[in-house]
Amino acid sequence: MSVQYTPVIWNRNKIFYDAVLLIAVVLYLYIYIRVAPGFEDVTKPIDGAILRMRAFGSCAFLMLTVILCIGPLARLDRRFLPLLYNRRHFGVMTAGIAAVHANYVLTWYYNFSPTDKYVALLSSNTNYGQILGFPFETLGIVALLILFVLAATSHDFWLSFLGAPIWKALHMFIYAAYACVVLHVALGALQGAGDPIFTSVVAASVVLVSGLHFATGRMEARRDRGEETAKASLQEKGWLVAGELDEIDDDCAKVVTLSDDERVAIFKYDGKLSAITNACAHQNGPLGEGKVLWGCITCPWHGYQYNLSDGRAPAPFTEKISTYRLKLIGSTILLDPNALPPGTHVDPVEIGEAA
Amino acid sequence: MSWRQTKDAPFYVGYLNAVPKQLVMFLVVFAVCFAGGLGIAALALSSTQNDPGNGGFQWGNRFENVGILELRPYPVLRVPADGETPARTYMLAGQGKRGAFSQAEKNQDGPVTLRGVPVNRGDLTMIQVGRVEAVEGGAPDFTPAGPEPLGRWKLTGEICDGKCYAGAMRPGRGLAHKACADLCLTGGIPPVFVSSGPVENRNFFLMADQDGNLIGDEIKPLLALYVELEGDVERLDDLMVFKVDLAKARILK
Ligand code: HEM
Ligand code: FES
Repeated sequence: MSVQYTPVIWNRNKIFYDAVLLIAVVLYLYIYIRVAPGFEDVTKPIDGAILRMRAFGSCAFLMLTVILCIGPLARLDRRFLPLLYNRRHFGVMTAGIAAVHANYVLTWYYNFSPTDKYVALLSSNTNYGQILGFPFETLGIVALLILFVLAATSHDFWLSFLGAPIWKALHMFIYAAYACVVLHVALGALQGAGDPIFTSVVAASVVLVSGLHFATGRMEARRDRGEETAKASLQEKGWLVAGELDEIDDDCAKVVTLSDDERVAIFKYDGKLSAITNACAHQNGPLGEGKVLWGCITCPWHGYQYNLSDGRAPAPFTEKISTYRLKLIGSTILLDPNALPPGTHVDPVEIGEAA
Repeated sequence: MSWRQTKDAPFYVGYLNAVPKQLVMFLVVFAVCFAGGLGIAALALSSTQNDPGNGGFQWGNRFENVGILELRPYPVLRVPADGETPARTYMLAGQGKRGAFSQAEKNQDGPVTLRGVPVNRGDLTMIQVGRVEAVEGGAPDFTPAGPEPLGRWKLTGEICDGKCYAGAMRPGRGLAHKACADLCLTGGIPPVFVSSGPVENRNFFLMADQDGNLIGDEIKPLLALYVELEGDVERLDDLMVFKVDLAKARILK
């Protein structure tokens, strides 16, 4: 949330986040490269370059696994939300580690040859027609390119420059990158002499990532059905019943689902009600799961804020989101399902004695 | 049931330094598990690497011998018997992923002194050629023996680049190494067949096509896989040569 796209606004949370990340990565590499070889049972150790290549490759793979688990975990249990806040640093660091892996490959397997190493990388194995012996390196290249593009466009400058929908779509390619890496490993390292531990780690990663996404999808669908009351019951022409006043905590919201991609968050604060779209203008974070802080709706993902009455971010920020009209009959909240253009002012509904 | 934010639930806002108390413990536990988990994974993955065997450069055992360079069809050095030691034939490779063709072609006719470093795994030896000098005058009069045919064989195993597998890279075989092996062969390193069953107690074979000539690109789809090959085996002094009919090759796994 930076006004002039100044590089990064550091704070204690980000520093802590990055410190934990860095410590974990350094620990992984140190144990892999320095400590574990002492426990190896080999006639002669494997080459240092290959050991480092494997250390960085597997580290990037595990990091990618964790990155992809953070999203669903934060949906399943809000306590994981802080992991989401600074996830871009996680991603950028993963791209860096993967690049070191690729560089070891390039300067070891593809070096010392009359053929240029970049040419060799693309030309030395071209048996694309066979599964066994498939040039699995190509899948690694594709994954690395995706990670690079995502790392390069991870800053909010690009988010604002490309617009949230395109940026979001672009960043969905992280799943393609993950799929490529899994295939990269499955067609490469896992085809070699049996290594049950690495095989189990890769299988566990795939099960975890897809399992968590599946579980979250089911949970969201169930939640949508629970919130669908509004769609079904038509109280007065053009107005939907959105629920009862006492369903909403002070400074919190109730989310109402209108259709697959339209959800409305109805906030209760200071004896008033206001409704805005549930999707944050930043990265579509679920605003209805946020809270009202300092008189502003605050997104649970990265803390973007909006005024309650017009859906505009407080100056100097310029983000705007759609607002909705509300009406109160007794203690029943009615919602006009037609979204107003982002930033439209709507007078909050006074709760009065009904509360 | 639909999830709802509540007034009392802890709410984390990243740019505020105060992390809600209820979350601090959770996050600390997560951080410790995350770092510890990665540490354990590193130990498990790294300490269980497959044994790459004992191949390696013999830096302390430099090679210097007088002999005759031949193309069979890859460059080999034929060294005459010396007293008790029988005649030997060494496979040759250049520096890095290069063959020793230019030295062999230049010095085909006369005896040479060849210096280099052996790369050795069991009875597979590849000499990384350092310097080759023609022996001036008074050279020993030596005619290397012809090949001794050992019949037709069907063997299973893996085609490796002879230098990496001999120990220039550990491990220097398997699918992870396929592209590297391919690059080595392109550079002129001789292909070596690593057989799963021995012929006269030997498992390593220098490869040639069925007429004893250089093998072309048709070998590449077969590299680094478990294959079945058929062809004539012959012996050059102590070196086994496998003259394979690649048209009959089968990929087993
Ligand atoms: C230019 C891109 C890449 C190339 C050329 C490449 C190449 C390779 C090669 C040759 C191996 C086999 C190493 C061996 O076992 O000796 C390998 C293994 C591996 N690569 Fe990559 N890779 C690339 C990108 C990536 C990326 C982006 C990731 C993950 C994010 C990745 C993860 C892995 C993993 C986990 C292994 C298995 C390591 C092990 O055996 O423990 N690679 N890669
Ligand atoms: S999605 Fe990032 S702040 Fe709302």
